[in-house]
Amino acid sequence: MAVAHALFPAYSRAEMASPVRPAAQSKTIGAEAAIASEADIRKGLTEHLSQLWRYGLVLSRKRDVAEDLVQQTCVRALERAVQFAPGTHLDRWLFSILHSIWLNEIRASRVRNGQGFADAEDTLVFDGAGATETHVAASQLLRKIDKLPEAQRSAIFLAYVEGLSYREVAEILDIPIGTVMSRLAAARAKLSGAAAEGKHE
Amino acid sequence: MSSDIRMPSDEDLTAFLDGEMSPQEMDRITGLANSNEEVAARIEFLAAGGSSFREAFAPLLEQAPKERLEAMLAGIPTQERKHGASFASRRGFFGALAASLVIGVIADRTYLRLGRSIGKDEGSEWRLAVAQYIALYTADTLAGPVPPADVQAAQLARIDSKLDLALSPETVALPGPDFKRAQLLQYEDRPLAQIVYLDPESGPMALCIIHSDDGAKAPDVEGCKGMNVVYWSTATHAFMLIGHAPVSRLREIANTIRPKFTA
Repeated sequence: MAVAHALFPAYSRAEMASPVRPAAQSKTIGAEAAIASEADIRKGLTEHLSQLWRYGLVLSRKRDVAEDLVQQTCVRALERAVQFAPGTHLDRWLFSILHSIWLNEIRASRVRNGQGFADAEDTLVFDGAGATETHVAASQLLRKIDKLPEAQRSAIFLAYVEGLSYREVAEILDIPIGTVMSRLAAARAKLSGAAAEGKHE
Repeated sequence: MSSDIRMPSDEDLTAFLDGEMSPQEMDRITGLANSNEEVAARIEFLAAGGSSFREAFAPLLEQAPKERLEAMLAGIPTQERKHGASFASRRGFFGALAASLVIGVIADRTYLRLGRSIGKDEGSEWRLAVAQYIALYTADTLAGPVPPADVQAAQLARIDSKLDLALSPETVALPGPDFKRAQLLQYEDRPLAQIVYLDPESGPMALCIIHSDDGAKAPDVEGCKGMNVVYWSTATHAFMLIGHAPVSRLREIANTIRPKFTA
């Protein structure tokens, strides 16, 4: 579309060396357009901070790590603003950035440092203050999800909490769709089994 | 498991439950479920393990340290174009820098509006807005000669009329940092004076003034966006001196100019 090109020339052309030197004026427009998209990303980030933090918490189970993850995601997203394809879902793009930071940097370094993840005190379960009936049920479900392996936890979260399609989950987690299906199926079976056990207790 | 029928895998049944199948496949599983109790039971079993997730995770969203995250985001400076030299002319780069400052202010205002709903006190908000703006300044932003006294006076006169002040190059001169420019900005529909300096030791520094009838307050200090701030107010105006200099030095500088504004 002509309008999109005029607004975001950087998406398609920034990396290509053109033999023809563009006029000075169009270069200025190009620079401003790239920055404008960064402002868009910044605005989008503002809207998704809590959502990103929650995903960071689901992955890491640690509030401080979740906060670090959000921060690094913000920095990375702003750096790569030109890589975001306008018209696609920003939250998906941000989730995948956060996920790759978690996988490649934070989790990797924790594994290298010999730190585990399943510390008893670090769980998804929120403070019990003002626990209503809904909160009790929610808290029980969180406890069960908390016992799932990280791979299943993240798939469940993205598909059923964030409402993403299998394809979107696959892209964020960088796995085949078949693997998404098997993780979700395994998680469902485990949670259902746990629920059944709970009833017998 | 009955032998006359092929039991669909858990994966297939999960995809069925999630509506992630072709209509033909959906029909096939529906048909199986209606004709085979085992299939129906397995679907029921898997369905039980897949409900109420959204509700369960909702409280976590509320627990996110939203205010802290917003402040963190606001503290990430706007990217200077790394490929600026090849991508844009020098003029283009400065145009971009100016644009980024404007965007910074827009972003500030967005953030501040959010901040207000969380209930931050009014006094700190304008300082945060200024800090976010000043955080984008580098020594290069302020490179160039110190404007002559008559230019300074002309810039200050514009501020005087809007802010009911009587500034002169002498009143705003700081011991050490060089005057670079005085400009009129706007914060929440109120005029905001920004006098920018370049401290040879610590870099950009700014004195900002806004109307305030919250009453006189003695100087206090805070850290904001990696900089230090000394702020105080008189019966009519609120002041802030912000920069990368240590608190002790900022306090010293503030103490030299403060008496000039108490009249």
